[in-house]
Amino acid sequence: MNAAVFYLIAGLIAGSAVLSVTVRDIFHGAIWLALTLLGIAFLYFYLDAGFLGVIQILVYVGGIMALFVFAIMLTAKIGDHAIRQVNRQFWPGLLITATLLAVMLKLVMDGPWMRVQASGVVTDLQTIGRSLLTGYLLPFEFISLLLLAALVGAVVIGKVKR
Amino acid sequence: MNYPWMALLFLVVKGVCILAFFAVNAMFLIWLERKVSAKIQNRLGPMVTGPHGSLQLIADTVKLLLKENIVPTEADRFVWWLAPFFVAVPTVAAFLCIPFSATWIVSDLNVGILFICSITSLCVLGVFMAGWGSNNKYSLLGGMRSAAQIISYEVPLLLSVLVVIMEAGTLSMQGIVHAQEVGWFFLKPNVLVAFLIYLISATAEVNRVPFDIPEAESELVSGYHTEYSGMKFSMFFLAEYANLFIISAVAATLFLGGWLGPWRPSAVWFLLKVYGIIGFLMWVRWTLPRVRMDQMMAFAWKILTPVSLINVLVTGWLLVIKG
Repeated sequence: MNAAVFYLIAGLIAGSAVLSVTVRDIFHGAIWLALTLLGIAFLYFYLDAGFLGVIQILVYVGGIMALFVFAIMLTAKIGDHAIRQVNRQFWPGLLITATLLAVMLKLVMDGPWMRVQASGVVTDLQTIGRSLLTGYLLPFEFISLLLLAALVGAVVIGKVKR
Repeated sequence: MNYPWMALLFLVVKGVCILAFFAVNAMFLIWLERKVSAKIQNRLGPMVTGPHGSLQLIADTVKLLLKENIVPTEADRFVWWLAPFFVAVPTVAAFLCIPFSATWIVSDLNVGILFICSITSLCVLGVFMAGWGSNNKYSLLGGMRSAAQIISYEVPLLLSVLVVIMEAGTLSMQGIVHAQEVGWFFLKPNVLVAFLIYLISATAEVNRVPFDIPEAESELVSGYHTEYSGMKFSMFFLAEYANLFIISAVAATLFLGGWLGPWRPSAVWFLLKVYGIIGFLMWVRWTLPRVRMDQMMAFAWKILTPVSLINVLVTGWLLVIKG
């Protein structure tokens, strides 16, 4: 029963992920990507990580996907079916992706898998907040640095050239 | 609850209750809105069908159900078909975490308020899809305006909710209500500011006057749902009024003490507060004129967001001083 639910969610994620890169219409692609991200949120809920699931929906589906769709609407003619789906980078891209896939498959197949029993403890927000500001402070601060860099970059790109 | 099928049956019954409430509440609100607007404009409103036009709703529902579902020739059928679901389904899902009384809540998630905020943020995509899929200039413009507005007002909305979360120290809806047993939150000055910001941003989130520029009948002929008819249109319409109920219910729970009241039954207190807020929002809608798009965006980013950021900071100080 549990396994069936997992495979259902995994199938949804994989299927919509493939569709999001193969459909011709870029708007349809965005919708399939939204479904992929929703599927990942379902997976978090299924694994009892409610907070993570909710944040996944709030940030990725509600925020980032809305921005994607906004960008599609503001870009002229991007919805045309006549636009080619691939550019000159197709073959190098395929090579890199295939290598990555091979490495990951190798790791997944060979790796020793620890079996962790579900502890039944619901991780509350206080624990998450405390560990973010103590044990994981450095990565946390790095992320804010990354966001700042992205903001500055967006301003530089978006500035009107004189 | 030893039998899995019993649990399943229980879930189905709860789901049916929510769907029934979703539909009946929205129908009632549509009638109420027509009556309130009539009162404010010195008219009578619907009077012919039933006492004070109360059966008008049933007539309207039958009409919407029987109406032909027209698909524009040039519409993007996949997107066009999917859009009403993206608006209606999250709205129904948000009812899961609304505490009607101490025991009447479908699921008291420990991230309740965040769940409601995140699941209703899915509606933006539905509005976008409706605007794009209709293949109509007005719909597209309406969809874009709506999305820009919802994304902008989401920031002050979440920041004002954050103030309440800081005061209550929990994300669970029931926990927030219990934290107000010593005194309703809006009595504290910093939370009162958050309450005002919440009301303004929530009005913008559900596209109501004075922030109804995405639908503006006179310039956009209703915006993103211009091309929809029959059942698909009624899904947008029902979701709009269900959203109005949800923002009012969240406001009542976060700021006005939820189902707390001097005597039982507590669900009555909850509904009184919610419909009180809804009445206030309707009064605002039929009193104020529409604001311009650029004024609206400037107001969100230049006034509401800084004020709510400062409010969060002040709340933090107050909490630290109190220890």
